[in-house]
Amino acid sequence: MTKDGFGMMRRISNVNGWTIGSVLIIILLFVPNLSIVTGIFTPPSENWAHIQEFMLLGYIKSSLTLVFFTAIFTIVIGLSLAWLIAQYDFPLRNFMKWALILPLSIPPFIGAYTYHGILNYTGIIQKTLRNQFDITPNPAFFDIMNVPGAIFIYTLFLFPYVYMITRIFLSNQAASLIESARTLGKSSVDIFFKVVLPISRVSIIGGVSLVILEVLNDYGVVKYFGIQTFSTAIFQTWFGLGDLDSSIKLAASLMGIVIFLLVIEWVLRGGKKYSFASTKVRPLPLVKLTGKKAVIATSYTLFIFTVAFLIPVLQLLDWFVLTFGKVPMEEVLTYTKNSIIVAGTAATLIILFSLVIGNFSRITKHKFGNVLPKLTILGYSIPGAVIAVAVVTTFIAIDRFLAPLYLSMGLDSALILSVSLVMLVSAYIIRFFAIGYNSIESGYAKIGTDFRDASRMLGVSGFRTFFKVDIPMMKGAIISGFILTFVDILKEIPLTLILRPFNYDTLATKAFQYASDEKIMEASQASLLIVGVSAIAIFVFHKLLREEPE
Amino acid sequence: MFIDIQNMCFNYTNSSAKAVEGFTFSVQKGEVISILGRSGSGKSTILRLIAGLEMPKCGSFTLAGKKIFDDYTFVQPEKRGIGMVFQDYALFPHMCVADNILFGLPKMSRHEKMKRLKEVLELVELEGFEKRYPHQLSGGQQQRVALARAIAPQPELILLDEPFSNLDTDLLVKIREDLRRILKKANATAIFVTHNQNDAHALADRIIKIKDGRIDQVGRPCDLLGIPTNDEVELELLPEESQKELVSV
Ligand SMILES: Nc1ncnc2c1ncn2[C@@H]1O[C@H](COP(=O)(O)OP(=O)(O)OP(=O)(O)O)[C@@H](O)[C@H]1O
Ligand SMILES: [Mg+2]
Repeated sequence: MTKDGFGMMRRISNVNGWTIGSVLIIILLFVPNLSIVTGIFTPPSENWAHIQEFMLLGYIKSSLTLVFFTAIFTIVIGLSLAWLIAQYDFPLRNFMKWALILPLSIPPFIGAYTYHGILNYTGIIQKTLRNQFDITPNPAFFDIMNVPGAIFIYTLFLFPYVYMITRIFLSNQAASLIESARTLGKSSVDIFFKVVLPISRVSIIGGVSLVILEVLNDYGVVKYFGIQTFSTAIFQTWFGLGDLDSSIKLAASLMGIVIFLLVIEWVLRGGKKYSFASTKVRPLPLVKLTGKKAVIATSYTLFIFTVAFLIPVLQLLDWFVLTFGKVPMEEVLTYTKNSIIVAGTAATLIILFSLVIGNFSRITKHKFGNVLPKLTILGYSIPGAVIAVAVVTTFIAIDRFLAPLYLSMGLDSALILSVSLVMLVSAYIIRFFAIGYNSIESGYAKIGTDFRDASRMLGVSGFRTFFKVDIPMMKGAIISGFILTFVDILKEIPLTLILRPFNYDTLATKAFQYASDEKIMEASQASLLIVGVSAIAIFVFHKLLREEPE
Repeated sequence: MFIDIQNMCFNYTNSSAKAVEGFTFSVQKGEVISILGRSGSGKSTILRLIAGLEMPKCGSFTLAGKKIFDDYTFVQPEKRGIGMVFQDYALFPHMCVADNILFGLPKMSRHEKMKRLKEVLELVELEGFEKRYPHQLSGGQQQRVALARAIAPQPELILLDEPFSNLDTDLLVKIREDLRRILKKANATAIFVTHNQNDAHALADRIIKIKDGRIDQVGRPCDLLGIPTNDEVELELLPEESQKELVSV
C-alpha cells in the first residue's frame, strides 16, 4: 500500500463508529422517500390518466388557494402582533407576549371541529339566537366547512409561527435600527413600513414557510371539511381506488410543489438562513401607550387570544363536562397509554439518532459531515401523506424481501412489519427528525469540542467521554428536544390514521374519529388532553426555558 | 531525546494555506518550553497536533521512546499520556473540583485516588476547595484546578495553551511564579503557548518563536532577549505596567 493509502486509513479509522452509525441512520431516514421518486417512473395506470386530466388541476388550485390566503392572513396577524408586543407597552402586554403562542397547542383539526360545533345549527351561537332572540339566521352564513372556513382555521391556529419568530427578532436583533429611526423623528407608521417590514423579511419568511408546510401537511381539517386537496386525494386514490401507484404519483407531484416553494423561500431570503438563536443583545426599550391607543392595543391582542385559544378551549371544557362519564374511563386510559408509548418511543429514538448524527457532524473534519445532517432535516418539509405513501411502499418491499424468512420461522402471514407499530414509529421519525435534531444540534454548538478534547487529554476514550461529559452537559437540549418532538407527534394525524395497526387508537385518532362521526362532544376528552399537554409544554419551553431578558 | 518531532506539517481541511510547516524540534525531560508568536501564527495548532486533537499531514513524533505518529501510526489522544490545560480551562461544569481532578486518574484503589487528589490540591494550594463547582471559583483558582487536573494522572508531557490570557496583571505575576514552581516541583516536561514575551521569559527554559506556521528562532530566554525579529512583539517586551497604560489609552 502506498504511503498515502496508509494516511487515508489512519484518517478513516479516526471517526469510525460515529460515521457508520450516522450513515446508517441517514439511509434509514432518507431511503423511503426515494421510493416516491422511483414511483414517478412506473407506467401510469388508467386512474392516473383520469386524475391527471380531470382532478390534478383542481388539487393544485385548492392547495395553493389555502396556502396563499393562509400565508397572507398569518403574516398580517403575526407581524402586527409581533410589532405591538416588541415595541409597545400596554395593559396585559406581558401576559399576551407568551399567551399569543398558545394557539399552537390546538391542532388545527381540533380547532376545526370545535368551531364547527360552535357555529352549526345546534351550536351555542345559533341556539342562543333562536332561543333568546327568536332569530333564525340563514345556516349557510355560519357554515365554515368550506375553503374560506379552512383558511380561517389555519390562520387562527398557525399565526403564532410568524408571531413568535418575528417578535424574537424584533425585540432582540432590531433594537438599534428601530431606535435610530425613532431618533430621526419618523412616525410609527413610517418606521413600520420603511424599517420594520424590510428588516424582518427573513424572519417573516422563516415563520410563514412553517405555516405553509403545515397547511400542505394538513389532512385533518380538509378531510373533516370535505375539501379536496393533495393530502386527501393521495389517501382517496390509495384506499378508495386501491391504486397505490397513482397515489405515489400524486405524492411526487405534491413533493414537487413543496420543493418549488422551498426554492422560492430560499430565493426570497436571499440565501440567508434565519437563525433561531436568541443571542442576548440589548432589547428594544418599550414605548408606553396610553388612552385610546392602549385600549386598542389591548383589545386587539385580547381579541386574537380569545378567538384563537380561549373560545375553543372553553367550548371543549364545556363539552367535556357535558359528556363526562359517557366515554368509558378504560378507553380513555388505553388510548392515552398508546399515545404516550408511540410518541415516547419515536421521540426517544429521534433524540438518540440526533445525538449520534450531531456528534458525528461535530467531530468529523470532513465537509461531508456538515452536509449529511441537512439531508435529514428535509423530512419536516415533506407532507405526512407523502411520507405515509413512502413508508408503506418501503415496508411492503421489505416484507416481500423477508417473506422466505417469515416462512421459515413458521409465521403464516406475509405482512409482518407493514402491519406493525414499527412502521408508524419509522414514519414519525422521518417526519419529525428535524425538530429533535435542531435542539440537539444547538446543544452541541453550545458546548463545543473543548470539553470533549479535555476529557480525551485526560486519557478517557471518545466513547466514554460521550457518556460522562457530553451527555450530562447536554441535558437541557435533550429534554427540550424530547418535549418538542413528543408534543408534535401527539398532535399528528395523517400518519397515525393511515399507518397505525388495525384498531390501534391514539388520542389524536380518537378525537378525529369521534369528530368525523359527528360525536363532537365525545371528542372533547381526547382533544383536551392533547391541548393540555401541548400548552404545558409550550409554556415550559417558551416561558421558562427560553425567557429572554426584558 | 525525550521528545523528538520531525518535519511536522498540517493544514486545516477548509483552507489550503499551511497552518504548520516543517516543524522540527526536540525537548529534554523536565524542560519547560514556550512557543511564542503573534495571533494566528499557528501556536495552538502546534499544541493540538502534539496532543493528537488534529492529525498531521506529514512528519513524525516520538515521546519517551514511544512512536506517537508517523506515516503509518497515529496514537489517539487518550492513549498518548499527554496532559493539557486549555485556554479557557475547559473544567467540566457539571463536576465539582474533586470530580474534575479524579476524572482522569487511571484505575487505582479509592484510597490511592484520594491520596493523589490531596497531593495535587496541595501542590496548587487549593485544599478545602474539593466540593466547589467551577463557576464558584475565581479565574486564578480555575486555572490552578485545570493545572491540577492535568498533572494528576502524571502525564509524560503537559501542554498549556495561553495559560494567562484570562487573568489580570496583578494576578498574572503571582500565577506565573506559582506555575513555574509547580511544574518544576512535579519535574514535569511542559510546552506552553503564549503571545506575551514576558510570560515566555519568566517561565521557559527555552523559547521557540513561530511566524506563519514556521519556526523563526529558538533559544534560551537570555539569548533571545533584545533581538526581536518582528515589530509586533516589541510592544510586549515592555514592562507590564507600561503595557497596561498603552492598552488603556
Ligand atoms: N478550525 C480551523 N479551521 C480553519 N483554519 C483554522 C482553524 N483554526 C485555526 N485556523 C487557522 O490556522 C492558523 C493558525 O491558527 P492558530 O489557532 O494555531 O493560531 P494561534 O497562534 O494560536 O493564534 P492565537 O494567538 O490568536 O490563539 C490561523 O491562520 C487560523 O486562521
Ligand atoms: Mg491560540
